[in-house]
Amino acid sequence: MTNSNAKTARYVQTLIAGLWRENPVFRLLLGMCPTLAVTAAVKPALTMGCCVIFVLVCSNIIVSLMRNLLKPHLRILMFTLTIATFVTIADLFLKAFVPRMSEMLGPYVPLIIVNCIIICRAEACASKNPLVVSVIDAIGMGVGFTVTLCVLATVRELLSTGKIFEAQLMPDAFVPWAAMSMPVGAFITLGLMLSLVNIITSRKA
Amino acid sequence: MSKIKYFVQQSWLLIVASFCFGLLIAVTSAALSPRIRQNEINKRNRLVSLLLPEAKNFILIEEQIEIQSLQRKKENIEIYRAMSDANECVGWSFEAVGSGFADKIKLVVAVDKDFGKIAGFDVLSSNETPGFGDQIKYDYFRGQFKGAPAGELKLVTVGEPDEIDSKIVAISGATISSEAVIEIVSNSVTQVKGQMQKKGIIGNDK
Repeated sequence: MTNSNAKTARYVQTLIAGLWRENPVFRLLLGMCPTLAVTAAVKPALTMGCCVIFVLVCSNIIVSLMRNLLKPHLRILMFTLTIATFVTIADLFLKAFVPRMSEMLGPYVPLIIVNCIIICRAEACASKNPLVVSVIDAIGMGVGFTVTLCVLATVRELLSTGKIFEAQLMPDAFVPWAAMSMPVGAFITLGLMLSLVNIITSRKA
Repeated sequence: MSKIKYFVQQSWLLIVASFCFGLLIAVTSAALSPRIRQNEINKRNRLVSLLLPEAKNFILIEEQIEIQSLQRKKENIEIYRAMSDANECVGWSFEAVGSGFADKIKLVVAVDKDFGKIAGFDVLSSNETPGFGDQIKYDYFRGQFKGAPAGELKLVTVGEPDEIDSKIVAISGATISSEAVIEIVSNSVTQVKGQMQKKGIIGNDK
């Protein structure tokens, strides 16, 4: 009984870790390239997040299943091969079913292959843990990444266009800040967010 | 012999995995590629039918049209004949590429049936500065090309955007983007026109 309780507690811990304590963007500072590049609007950020969740879950499943067969000096090669396969599949699906979004994201979908969040989770978690923990970890990290991306994108889209999902939220008198949809807006928003998160964590401690 | 054994021991997983993953990608790609191709065609057709409202059908012509790009390279261009409901030719369309301010600008250009006037252009892909250069997508700028003579176009900084002639008023703050579009359009239109006349697909100027 206590054994299963301990197990559940560990699953919950793993799931929550990705959302806050080990949030890939705010705490681990991983995957900065997509974080800066696709957060000009909420829709591409959400699509990007979903792609990352898909790739992360699939690659963690495969890596976890073959963790006992891996040769130490060939493991990174295997991780990259696995990740590249699922990213290509995700890219094909985007092109077929949401062509407009695929155009908007451009090279950033293929670039998920070199996204360090996924390779980090394969190395740190999936190659050492059984299937269930790996899947839960992938979901936690993926959702954490997606939520963070969406928060950044919401701030940037609101300030750069006054709209979210084509719905006007700002009063008519609001002058859009074009800079917020450019790279400079990404850096400023991310920097301010990071400092905010640091203030909150230092208060807690 | 032991060397081969060692080799297989070390790499069998990699080889098996490569085959499996390759197969997985091949199956997905085979299943989705007709859809992806159709999406591309649909997008171009949708943009062109906004420029040539009577066009209902687009047919790729068989003749090879080769032009010299702005970078002095030979380029093959696919020309589409736009057909109306009554199966009459109502115009032509083709894609044209050139360098913009930040990245390549890819346009789809539509011309009327005897290459006399430009029916307009639309942007297939570009990466111009938001708020400035990306105004090449806006109606007030694109509108200046609708009905402009199919030949050399000129960029002016002061003028009437509503007046339809070979003078195109630049977007203020984005001279390079405006100029790039004008160059791409007039270069491709003049050369395609010349080639088509040479091959006898369209008549010469009266």
